[in-house]
Amino acid sequence: MTTPVRFAYDDAVAGRTDGSRLAYLPITLRHATQVLAVVGLLDTGSTVNVLPYSLGLQIGLVWEHQTTPVQLTGSLARLPARGVIVSGQVASFPPVDLAFAWTQATDVPMILGQVNFFMEFDVCFFRSQAAFEVKPTGEGP
Amino acid sequence: MSLTELVPAIRMLPRADKLRLMQFLVIDLAQEEGIPLLSADAEYPIWTPLNAFDAADTLLQMLQTHQAKP
Repeated sequence: MTTPVRFAYDDAVAGRTDGSRLAYLPITLRHATQVLAVVGLLDTGSTVNVLPYSLGLQIGLVWEHQTTPVQLTGSLARLPARGVIVSGQVASFPPVDLAFAWTQATDVPMILGQVNFFMEFDVCFFRSQAAFEVKPTGEGP
Repeated sequence: MSLTELVPAIRMLPRADKLRLMQFLVIDLAQEEGIPLLSADAEYPIWTPLNAFDAADTLLQMLQTHQAKP
């Protein structure tokens, strides 16, 4: 049985209460030869994973090479997005394939959503302790 | 001008103007206290792609195709 790894919520925004703390997960993305250590917002209300434009460039993605359009909703619906698949590793768990909607928006956090982050990882939130635990589901989509 | 002088004038205002006056006072006090309020004229982004079902289907198909490759 896999033991979950525990993470703390991020710090409160300056001048704001404890309610401003969010669950950002450290994750390592890999694409071809590029490796990028980032944090992603655990967003259970998001149907999909979202990769900001700048992070996609940093990991070596080329917009013109991505040919699958993805229609997002909310504020991101105004900008084009394309589907990409990169490898993601949490803590020392085995890496998994993560599908992202790579948006041209830059002022957005990396979002980890239902497809397919929450299909690959079980997450338990302990908001009263400002902590959450993550472990692989062991099942693909 | 004192409140005592203002009250009769306020009472003569139409109902809509009384509501506008209340709104003005609430916003003015909140700004003085540094309390951020939502404005009807501003746009607030919601980044979460809620109910992006077509996007989810597309990404799942991409994953299946990717993982089916030898």
